[in-house]
Amino acid sequence: MAGICCRVVGEGDTPNPLDSSSRPSTTRRAMDIVPFNYMADMTVPESSRKRPKLDLNDTDDQLQNDQESSGVKVMKKDSQFVKEDDEDVSDTKSLSDDDSSEDEECPKYGVTSVCGRRRDMEDSVALRPFFSLDGFHYFGVFDGHGCSHVATMCKERLHEIVNEEILDEDDNFEWKLLMQSGFARMDEEVFRRSQGNQTFNCRCELQTPHCDAVGSTAVIAVLTPDKIVVSNCGDSRAVLCRNGVAIPLSSDHKCFDPFSVVQPDRPDELLRVESKGGRVIYWDGPRVLGVLAMSRAIGDYYLKPFVISEPEVTVTERSDGDECLILASDGLWDVVSNETACGVVKMCLKSQKPPTPPSPGGYVTADGSDRACSDASILLTKLALARHSADNVSVVVIDLRKEQGETSVPTSNYVNE
Amino acid sequence: MSVFPCSCNQTSEKGNPGGDTESFHHFFEGWISEQNQHLKDLLVVGEELQSVKDKVVEHYESYYKTKSRCAKQDVLAMLSPTWTSSLEDAFLWIGGWRPSMAFHLLYSKSGLQFEARLQELVQGLRTHDLGDLSASQISQLDEMQKRVILEERQITDLMAGHQETVADASMVELSHVASEMIRANERGEVEESKEFEDKVESTLVQKEEGLEKILQKADELRLGTLKAIVNVLTPKQAIHFLIAAAELHLRLHEWGKKIDARKENHGTGEGKNYNSSI
Repeated sequence: MAGICCRVVGEGDTPNPLDSSSRPSTTRRAMDIVPFNYMADMTVPESSRKRPKLDLNDTDDQLQNDQESSGVKVMKKDSQFVKEDDEDVSDTKSLSDDDSSEDEECPKYGVTSVCGRRRDMEDSVALRPFFSLDGFHYFGVFDGHGCSHVATMCKERLHEIVNEEILDEDDNFEWKLLMQSGFARMDEEVFRRSQGNQTFNCRCELQTPHCDAVGSTAVIAVLTPDKIVVSNCGDSRAVLCRNGVAIPLSSDHKCFDPFSVVQPDRPDELLRVESKGGRVIYWDGPRVLGVLAMSRAIGDYYLKPFVISEPEVTVTERSDGDECLILASDGLWDVVSNETACGVVKMCLKSQKPPTPPSPGGYVTADGSDRACSDASILLTKLALARHSADNVSVVVIDLRKEQGETSVPTSNYVNE
Repeated sequence: MSVFPCSCNQTSEKGNPGGDTESFHHFFEGWISEQNQHLKDLLVVGEELQSVKDKVVEHYESYYKTKSRCAKQDVLAMLSPTWTSSLEDAFLWIGGWRPSMAFHLLYSKSGLQFEARLQELVQGLRTHDLGDLSASQISQLDEMQKRVILEERQITDLMAGHQETVADASMVELSHVASEMIRANERGEVEESKEFEDKVESTLVQKEEGLEKILQKADELRLGTLKAIVNVLTPKQAIHFLIAAAELHLRLHEWGKKIDARKENHGTGEGKNYNSSI
């Protein structure tokens, strides 16, 4: 765990928020990643048990737990860290034990997820590199409504379901069907759980035993060596920055507002809702049955069949011009355009040192690329807050740039279609 | 260094609990003019960042120390302040500002400073102000915000529970007995009981004690939130935050007084009437 997740606790300061005496000089660069030795210190308390190497599910669970406990964090990650044992973060020798370290390059990413100006945190973020076949990585943003538990379930389960779907396929991935099936299973699980007697550890627990009026958006990106597969349900969004141009890889399932000159984007969704006998009613904006401002979501059983959990899936071939992928909840997109977001990330990536080729056994804590992703996610979050976003804000930034010295690695196992 | 007037304490030493409201009012007037002075100090602060920051935080501490002392003597006065304007009263949460509001203040000020220097920040330059919050600071503040909102809710619930005891069995019984006594009086039957008066008195004292405990918790959360935020910030950022807090407090107070004065002049009589020194 030690290496996979570096939750930055101060710019090298102690984690005690009440202790300001140890605050370092303010001249240090913004959003510095903590020095490596400090990172090792931080993780020692969690490392009482030794876990097998490359136990990625386990490490990732830990990472997720970490996230729950702090809401916002910056992940620092590279393939070498993943291979590390908790105790031996600084033991460079253990790296060479790992036979797969050269095959799998972990994508570089940064994430920020904050409560912002809302009184409840209902966003969840899932970061699951190496979640399935070699070179497959998974990232997801889930924006809950009604309560947080559907978003939390999606965070905990959807990648496992998607993985099972992937493993069930032969080599010829039918991504659309696969994802539709995965989302349907996720939706069923949420439904079964809401019908059961299990209680959720959340605020709606006592209020509505069956939690019918709870749901979540889901935008997930599966990164393969040659593709970006984005599945979306609801109004979170994935945007690709390619050759400096912002390309949305998902289309928000907002209720169509026929009078809107701003974004009359989904008349098809309005038709779909109405064809099932549903109505879009104005109640603080257009809403399905006057209740839900989006036309697709996981959960929300009281709005079926108008609100569906079926995702729209886009499959994009990766290209050398790909710079980054941004996944975020509407807390960002409501106030920041795709172009601005890409511009900020681009500048952020540019202003950093070019990524250093990983040196054997070297701990690239000052790795420009990773820090850039984290910086970018923080900057976008701050921009959303600065622009008065009233919602939770969750932003995942994934660096898609090919790095010197490793370009040949991921694609070698795959034959392009 | 300011000297904090604590007439509240003085009057209590003189054994004049009746003067507490007046004396806290007086204390408040003094405190707010000191805050005005501190705002000026904050704006011209140079090398002595830390000491100015500490002075201002101590000033808040002294406020809550005095408030707590006065509340022990007269909690009702603290919950219906005569020293604030009706505008400020409308936004009161348990006799003061809502703790979670501090994060909004921070995010708002941070947002203004962030947008102003966006280009530089995106290029990785540092501005050292609130627009320049680091990843770890945002992480700590977010965590703190969730905790404060939780505590705020718990205190709100405590208050709800306590407010409901206004209609508990003993209150309903006492109010009925008291009403019966009034009716008996009206019929000419004299029915006065010292014992009954004492019972009413002790019941109401319990209600006040409950309020005092809740107010204490609320004030602890207010001061704790302020100090915790300041501690997460660098001294320079803390100065920016304290400036924003003082400016908002002072101007809101002024605007509210203006509204009250206007109402007074128009003879609507709805505005709060008080003689303020500033």
